[in-house]
Amino acid sequence: MEIQDISDDIDVKVKKYQRGESADLEALKDKKLKGQLANREDLYKKSANAAAKAEKWLMQTEGGRLESEGFEKTWRFSQQSIAQEVDVASRKNQFDIVLPDLGPYTIDYTSSGRYMVTAGCKGHLAIMDLHTMKPIKDFQVRETVRDVVFLHNELFFAAAQKKYTYIYNNAGTELHCLKEHGAVLKLQFLKNHFLLSSINKFGHLHYQDITTGQMVGNYRSGLGRSDVLQVNPYNSVVTSGHSGGTISMWKPTSAASLVKMLCHRGPVTAIAFHPNGHLMATAGMDKKLKIWDLRKYEALQTLPGHAKSLDFSQKGLLAASTGSFIQILANSSDSQNYDRYMIHTMVKGYQIQKSRFRPYEDVLGIGHSMGLSSILVPGSGEPNFDSWVANPFETLKQRREKEVRLLLDKLPPESIILDPTKIGTLRNPNKIQKATKEEKEAEKAAAIAAAKSGPQKKKTKGRSKPSKVAKKKQEGVEKAKRPFAEENKHEVVSKKKQKRITEANELPKALQPFVSRKSS
Amino acid sequence: MAETKRNKAIAPAKRRKGGKEKNWKKGPHLPNALKKELDSINPTNDQQIRSDDDIDVYEYEEKIPDEESKKNRRYDPVDNFEYQLPKDFEDEDVPSDDDDEEEEGAQKGDSDEDDDSDDGKHVRMLQDITGLPGDAFEGKKKKKNDVVIFEAYPESEYNPSRDVLDGDGRITVDDLLNPLHGKPGFSKIRKDVQRMDRKSVSIQPPLPKPQQEKVDRRSTFVYSKKKLSEYEALVKKNREAPTIYFDEDIDVGYSTVGAIASEFRPRTEFEKKMDSLINAKELSEAHKGDGARLLELNKISVEDVKERQDRLAKMRNLLFRHELKSKRIKHIKSKTYRRLLKKDKSKAAATEIEMNPEAAKELAEKQEFKRAEERLTLKHKNTSKWAKRIKKRGFDVQDDGTRAAISEQLQQHALLTRKRDSMHDDSSSDDSSEEDDDDISGDEDDASKLKLLEIGKKRTLEVLDEDDEMPKSGVLSLPFMVRGQKKKKEAADEEARLALQEFDSSLKQLEGDDDVKGNVGFLSGRKVFGAQKKQVPKSKAKVNNTDNYFDNTDSEDDADTIEDVDDKHGRMNYTQKDVNIDPNILRDESEIGHDSLFKSFDDISKDSGPKITYEVSLSATNSKKKKRNMKDSNQAKSEKKAKNKKSQVAELASEKDTAIIEHGDDDSDTDGETRMVDGIITSGTDYELPSQDDLIRRAFAGDDVEEDFEMSKQEIMNEENPEPEKPVLVPGWGQWTHIQKKRGLPSWMLAEHERAKKKRDEDLKRRPDAHLKHVIISEKVDKKAEKLQTKTLPYPFKDKEHFERSNRMPLGPEFNPATTIGALNRPEVVKKPGVSIKPIKLKK
Repeated sequence: MEIQDISDDIDVKVKKYQRGESADLEALKDKKLKGQLANREDLYKKSANAAAKAEKWLMQTEGGRLESEGFEKTWRFSQQSIAQEVDVASRKNQFDIVLPDLGPYTIDYTSSGRYMVTAGCKGHLAIMDLHTMKPIKDFQVRETVRDVVFLHNELFFAAAQKKYTYIYNNAGTELHCLKEHGAVLKLQFLKNHFLLSSINKFGHLHYQDITTGQMVGNYRSGLGRSDVLQVNPYNSVVTSGHSGGTISMWKPTSAASLVKMLCHRGPVTAIAFHPNGHLMATAGMDKKLKIWDLRKYEALQTLPGHAKSLDFSQKGLLAASTGSFIQILANSSDSQNYDRYMIHTMVKGYQIQKSRFRPYEDVLGIGHSMGLSSILVPGSGEPNFDSWVANPFETLKQRREKEVRLLLDKLPPESIILDPTKIGTLRNPNKIQKATKEEKEAEKAAAIAAAKSGPQKKKTKGRSKPSKVAKKKQEGVEKAKRPFAEENKHEVVSKKKQKRITEANELPKALQPFVSRKSS
Repeated sequence: MAETKRNKAIAPAKRRKGGKEKNWKKGPHLPNALKKELDSINPTNDQQIRSDDDIDVYEYEEKIPDEESKKNRRYDPVDNFEYQLPKDFEDEDVPSDDDDEEEEGAQKGDSDEDDDSDDGKHVRMLQDITGLPGDAFEGKKKKKNDVVIFEAYPESEYNPSRDVLDGDGRITVDDLLNPLHGKPGFSKIRKDVQRMDRKSVSIQPPLPKPQQEKVDRRSTFVYSKKKLSEYEALVKKNREAPTIYFDEDIDVGYSTVGAIASEFRPRTEFEKKMDSLINAKELSEAHKGDGARLLELNKISVEDVKERQDRLAKMRNLLFRHELKSKRIKHIKSKTYRRLLKKDKSKAAATEIEMNPEAAKELAEKQEFKRAEERLTLKHKNTSKWAKRIKKRGFDVQDDGTRAAISEQLQQHALLTRKRDSMHDDSSSDDSSEEDDDDISGDEDDASKLKLLEIGKKRTLEVLDEDDEMPKSGVLSLPFMVRGQKKKKEAADEEARLALQEFDSSLKQLEGDDDVKGNVGFLSGRKVFGAQKKQVPKSKAKVNNTDNYFDNTDSEDDADTIEDVDDKHGRMNYTQKDVNIDPNILRDESEIGHDSLFKSFDDISKDSGPKITYEVSLSATNSKKKKRNMKDSNQAKSEKKAKNKKSQVAELASEKDTAIIEHGDDDSDTDGETRMVDGIITSGTDYELPSQDDLIRRAFAGDDVEEDFEMSKQEIMNEENPEPEKPVLVPGWGQWTHIQKKRGLPSWMLAEHERAKKKRDEDLKRRPDAHLKHVIISEKVDKKAEKLQTKTLPYPFKDKEHFERSNRMPLGPEFNPATTIGALNRPEVVKKPGVSIKPIKLKK
């Protein structure tokens, strides 16, 4: 029985690592290709098996959850009761830091979950090592700080301040002042692409490459001020929420939004993405919290309630906070539907600014008006960390090596597309867009203008007579016009051909060959 | 003996030919009729005789009388009518046809005809019986050979018969064997020969060559096919293998320099010498010792030292002289000398091109080509007509010029055909001259500036003075145009004057009296600026515009002035950067939360932008001035601020329904600021509740959200799939008769429109967001991302699915276990570098 279970388990994992079925090789006529592909498939299978086994034996820790017995409801468990049950190391993660003066705090974690950066609205910036529970640096910038994010590691972070965005290092030294971003309301860091994206007061979206400092994209959202910006970890598409109840998804290489969705009837207040990239949660002023399937762009679930901050954990729990109240939603193992899993209430009057799950820990960090809090949410974090991806116990050397590796693996900004699995596949032939008539005309006009105003060579005596110059100019203009005329001709010809074909199609089959070219 | 026999064999044949009408036979002489009878009874008579001959029985051989053998023609020819054949005469060579012929020849005349007629009858009969055409039976009939050859000369040694020439008079084995008769071993040989005769099979003639080759090839093919098919399994295995390994177990040998060096053996003479010196016993021992011995070995003879010293002294002396010389040259002040030097230098520059390796290479190639050409054509070596003529006439007669020309040509030839020499240049003289030049250029810098300024001034003055005559006719003479032009001209003049002032000031500055006059200049300049502030940029634009009008009169000057102006701005651009102020920043300074207000402010700031930069650009020459201008601009800013505030108030009053919701954030921002100005931070726990208005606005904000969204979706759809243009007639087309009007638009136009419409509908239906009301998915193609997808399927793949599925697995080490990563990424061929691949070998 046990063995059966294990083999089933492994089968599931093997399937996961095979990443889909192979194509039907029997249908192939090319024997050589068939042989080659069969070879590859064998290798893939082997690799998947090995990976599944490695996962089985090396990643033994499993995530747990609160489980209730009988009448009990999981959301009835308070933090105190949880604290009594857990080990000392975990209890250490329950804490409150009271910082009453510098206003609502916003927080961010590094991808390993070891370091936390917090920013008080009134200019307090601090980095903390959560293993030792010691602040690494704590300083004041004496102006409004609206958002803060870590860059690729704990050494650098960006803070959106009153006028500009600044990049600091972990010693609190200002490294860069990003003036072009304007007065940024929300920052996001795209860690695979090394892009810092921001949305400012005027709804302008900026993408800046932090390795080269180059401004990759600078686009108007055209939908007014927004302080909701979230990156989808699956495809690095950045999503902004707007006052019209719409959200729009952006990539750094196009000025038009990829997708625009009407999610709420009031302004959108928060967006969060599931780590697998298929689920999105949005909250609006219309007192609704919606969970969307991004593959179909349909709402899976609509829940009541406000939310000022939303966050998905690594294991897919959803934290929604509003006022001084936090609700954690979870989907049961058998269904997709999210329902209430835990609740937590702060002291009345505390305004929660931001709640974020800490990676690789069952912890939810909360930034609020009176400082910082951290509560335990069993089953939220990924229990097994991959030191190639993020290592909470990273040494100095490892960090350095990882930085180099990350830089080598940096992806170009154009690789951000809605469906990243499309990279390397065959392009859809009917997607090739033709320039519209206006565009063509504009192009033609530009070409002619260029030909007219182009630099005239000063030639020797007699060669630059006005008549000759004029003639040459005219020739240039004609030359510039020619390709467009040719294009037109092609079009005309193709139209004629099409007409003939359609005519031919209208006739009965037997008569089709007799349609003459000249008749049309 | 053999000789005689042979003669005998030949002689009868000759004779037979000679006497055509006679039938020579051996044996007793018989009358013809009788012989005929005998023949009919026993046709194989001849063979029998031959077989008799084979059986070797001794027979008496009658000698031929000498007269008859015609030896040496010692005897008169005798008509020998009664001649008898020798007994051993063989008739084997006579073809049967001949017999017939001879027989028939005897009774020619009527018998021949008879035969023919007989045959005709027979054929006719057969035809009648069988009903087949006569031709079918004619095949049976023997072909008649009725050719009779007459010899022109009597047969003799000098006129051999045809048979002999054809090779019929062959030597048989018997002929060769006979002389051996009676010798020991003869019987054995004879037996062998007999045996061979008995068993002998006729030998086929060899096949024709192409056929033979074909057969050979076929056999070769079969053989090699068999041979090669042994490899089949091996080749198949290699073909199917994902990776082929070559020569895995070869030891490449040394891998380090040290290892290679340790294996070094001296081979050449020089190497051996060096080796013997380095590894000399004395030396190695000396090294082992305390060093005293080494010192001994170091001893140098006195002569050597002296020689060395002398050499060094000489070199030093030369160097010193050279230095002196160069110093002297440096002090020369003659202008002509310098000019000549410059010329030389320019020449040297040409040689310097050669220092550039590419150019040098090119030059060398060219030279080589020329040399080759010259060597080929010898164009300059007195080969021309002219040169030849002169040569013919003699050199002494020519005048000096011609002689010189000739000699020059010859020299050219020598120059061209000479092997290319290495280039040498005088580096020392170059150096000195360069230094001089540097000094001059340093001085020049200022001078050129001055000159530039003066030129600019002159030009502007010209513009000012230029009172261009007003056009008397045409569009430009219209009163409003004239007025406009006048205005423009005024503005241009203003501008020019400004520029002039600036030129003056900078000129003065350059001349040194910068204290007082410069200030005055500034003052005057500033005055104008203050008054003109708003007009300045406009006027500049106008200057640009006027360009067009002046075009027909004198465009060059105008262009120059404008260029000057442009130049000026270009030069001073760097200052602009310093004070270049973003509209964003300006906005922040004023700290206004409303977007609508920003718009208005935006406009203002846009206007102000160029003004500020202009001020700053003009002040670039002096830092003092710059500061002042900065102050100015600050003042301007503050003014603007005030203005903005006013306008803001006005806007607030006028626009009550601002669509954009103000967030609580902003309030706190400003709060925070006010608090932090003092540096004392008071607690900020008290939150302002949103006002009632705000709440109501929020509540009703989403009223028409859906409609808005639908509209925007429609817009985007129209943009991405534009609606087809409505068909329109070209104005005036077909309207002069009213037929077209009555008919309406031509049907093809309507059809086209219809088709375009249909296509658009289809496209819209095909959109991914066609059935999703609340979603707009952009269909715009991202050109940059296009490179991430393939346009065509790569070669072996025929369909999309197989290709895409084959790519689904990542191959990196991050995604695969270490045990399989090697196999996944192994190359197709694994071989050691530097090891040649040997041909395939069959393993059994």
